[in-house]
Amino acid sequence: MAKRITAIVSQGQSQNPAKRQLEEDIVTALVLESGIDVIVVPHLYDLRGDATGMLALQGVKGNMIVLSWLYERAARWILDRNSVSGLTGKSLIQSEDEDDDDVTESIEDTTDRVADARPVPQRRIYCLDLRCDDSAATYIEEVKRIAAENSADVVPLMDWISGDPKPEQLERYLHPTTSPQTPATLPADHDTTISTSESSPDAERHLETPEQRRWYPVIDFSRCTNCMECIDFCLFGVYGVDQAETILVEQPDNCRKGCPACSRVCPENAIIFPQHKTPAIAGAQIAAGSLKIDLSKLFGAPESDESAAQAATRERDEQLVMAGRAPVAPEPASAAAPPATPQVAELPVAKDHLDDLIDELDELDL
Amino acid sequence: MTAERVFMMGEFAAHFPSDRHYARNHMWAMGTNGQWKFGFTAYAVRLLQDVYFLDWTVDPETTLQEKAEIGSIESKKAESDLYAPIAGTVLRLNDQLLSDPSTINVDKYGDGWLFEMAGVGDNLLSIDEYITHLDAVWEVTQRTIKGQLNE
Repeated sequence: MAKRITAIVSQGQSQNPAKRQLEEDIVTALVLESGIDVIVVPHLYDLRGDATGMLALQGVKGNMIVLSWLYERAARWILDRNSVSGLTGKSLIQSEDEDDDDVTESIEDTTDRVADARPVPQRRIYCLDLRCDDSAATYIEEVKRIAAENSADVVPLMDWISGDPKPEQLERYLHPTTSPQTPATLPADHDTTISTSESSPDAERHLETPEQRRWYPVIDFSRCTNCMECIDFCLFGVYGVDQAETILVEQPDNCRKGCPACSRVCPENAIIFPQHKTPAIAGAQIAAGSLKIDLSKLFGAPESDESAAQAATRERDEQLVMAGRAPVAPEPASAAAPPATPQVAELPVAKDHLDDLIDELDELDL
Repeated sequence: MTAERVFMMGEFAAHFPSDRHYARNHMWAMGTNGQWKFGFTAYAVRLLQDVYFLDWTVDPETTLQEKAEIGSIESKKAESDLYAPIAGTVLRLNDQLLSDPSTINVDKYGDGWLFEMAGVGDNLLSIDEYITHLDAVWEVTQRTIKGQLNE
């Protein structure tokens, strides 16, 4: 029997009509495909662990394809912190050139990463970034390719997953440890019994509940070494540790909107703020250029050439002052945070939209 | 109709009502008793064109330095971070724009307002000063757009 696969379309926050149309076109086409279940959820990052959309994703047992307006890494680790994990599925659509996926990289890597010690459910999660291509056909073809690839898969373990385990078996399977990534603020996660009632074949489920926009760090545990720089640096109590003394984002909503400071001090660049404007902080493997003109300088951006560590300290101090607390006094050089891996600056490079922009310049009579 | 001034951005005529103040970062400011309501000027909206996405990185009651980052915007043609035009305290953000940012295009001097702040508006410009400012920055604006195209 051919295995089913679930395609999840996570809606963007932008009202860009082209983006909404792309989502709609993909959903419309995939619903007609046999063997593919389609679930539409709001923006993944905004979903709380107990939101209907996230519960639906937690209930998906087999392989899944997640299409979102996020870098693959960001989508993957947002899911991971909500107890939706699996092996990295390799998509042909990529945000940027990658030599290989994280799994292979971590084999070559002698550093102990948090993810190395964690059992991963033997199912695959494919994350596709909807910003990679304007054409719905590209994504539809890729989803069909992945679905075909997986229906031919004959790993026995996969059969088990696609079978019908009891809820408690599945719970144990999906939460092999003590659910260290489950945020403490979302107790509903722990109590959630994963639904075994599958949607009817080819059903399209729309789980649209209005979501508040959120802002919190997402840890990439394939990079994290549990060094604790972040928990030492953040003074807002966002981070905590689980029973195994492993770092986790314990109080995501304590995070200060717009502040990416802990990401800058992370020596492994393991902390993702998916909505940050700098690609390296938002989860890009490498910094990708913006496709649009950056008007920030015209709209009042201050000139700056500070280092990542300086920026982090400044950003944290700004947040402390905003919260009515005292900024941290400058530390002696020896005690200062080690320099973070420098973030590659955003390069506003016009690429595909060049023609549009030139047309526009002509109109402006420059 | 309120009296207004016009600045020519190439062939495009940008209109600016004379019933309010202006900030150098291309926002208008309507103020009474130290409370200011801000929105984008025609100059900013012309550069942006159709606005698709707006996000605030601050909450109401946040106290800000002038030029502190307060959010970001994405439009058909451009993207930008947004900065506080004056020092002061954020009173209100126009949250309606989060779900429908196109109001900025439809009614930039009215319902498309961005946020309200309490603060001293001494650094704000009169309409005449703003037009003079535009004369000075139009060159730079064009160079910015062209410069980024050359990268």
